[in-house]
Amino acid sequence: MAIETILIINKSGGLIYQRNFSESFASKLNSNDFLIIASTIHSVFAITSQITPKALQITQNNVDYVIPYIPMVGMESSNPQQTRNANVPVKLGSYKGPDFFKEPFISWNKSGLRQLSTDQFTMYIYQTMTGLKFVALSSNVLSTNAGTMNGSIDKTKAVNVASQVADNFLRKIYCLYGDYVMKDPFYSMEMPIKSELFDKAVKRMVNNLL
Amino acid sequence: MTIYSFWIFDKHCNCIYDREWTLLANPKSGTTNSKQNDDISKLLYGIIFSLRSVTGKLSSTETGRTNEISSISTGRFRIHTYCTATGLWFVLLTDFKPFNYSKVLQHIYSDIFVKYITNNYLSPYDFAQSEGEKRGQGTRKITNRHFKNNLELFLEPMISS
Repeated sequence: MAIETILIINKSGGLIYQRNFSESFASKLNSNDFLIIASTIHSVFAITSQITPKALQITQNNVDYVIPYIPMVGMESSNPQQTRNANVPVKLGSYKGPDFFKEPFISWNKSGLRQLSTDQFTMYIYQTMTGLKFVALSSNVLSTNAGTMNGSIDKTKAVNVASQVADNFLRKIYCLYGDYVMKDPFYSMEMPIKSELFDKAVKRMVNNLL
Repeated sequence: MTIYSFWIFDKHCNCIYDREWTLLANPKSGTTNSKQNDDISKLLYGIIFSLRSVTGKLSSTETGRTNEISSISTGRFRIHTYCTATGLWFVLLTDFKPFNYSKVLQHIYSDIFVKYITNNYLSPYDFAQSEGEKRGQGTRKITNRHFKNNLELFLEPMISS
């Protein structure tokens, strides 16, 4: 799962952070284009809850919004290329373990846009309780040869896992946001993130993700 | 796999056919051609239109490949789209399990739509009759009996299985 771009959209639809991680399709766009994309995603996100099909409204079936914990997504120890830390587990801080969280979590993104698959990329959106949206653009493509009638279960599962990994990964970016942006005394809320430390930490996490 | 509704939009942003199943246990239930000018069809069109503009911007031009949306997913359901070169959109709302419906939509277009609507001399060439019926204001819809029956027959096994 190669991450191409990460966007962070604040609760009012403004783009506060955007980074490209490869020289791909997103790199030719300017910052104004990304602002438009961010606000479009934000507004579509709000609309999707309005078009819930009748059959779903009637049945009231309880969908399980719990996302399973996938260990060490984007952490240094998950990257086999970095052998120097193979024996010593990396600690995130004095009281933190080797991973940001260790339990399954409930997705707050219950009725909004969650995933957008096209012929060239897949976009994953993670929403926090406070309305912040983390968007990851991955060059992975939802498999198109999954068949029509003879639905292959394995591929369906693989796509499911991809979206769970994406949710775990974006939640970790949120943890980084909590650590490096929210704890920065000079950061003003809802404004673009200019923190160099946050930048580095995000870049490291993206590189660790294989 | 479960399907909830099926929509066709033409190049003038008009919804020319819609079918919604309300009781999944009964494939005959639900409504046909009653939501053309409903908010839900406009919102659905708007979502796909906006996201198409996003994906159009975010596509790589070097490869020369298209960057069409195959599916849009929320926590509860998934929207599958299939866009033809003539500006028709075939949209299917299903459960949120990632299952590829592009072949299904392609089949509806090439084997049902083309056969009963495009190749039909009596069917209108363009569903918008006048200038006033363009830009989402159209009222004409697909009423062809054979198209409806064949579509029902094709989609019935997928409604709740």
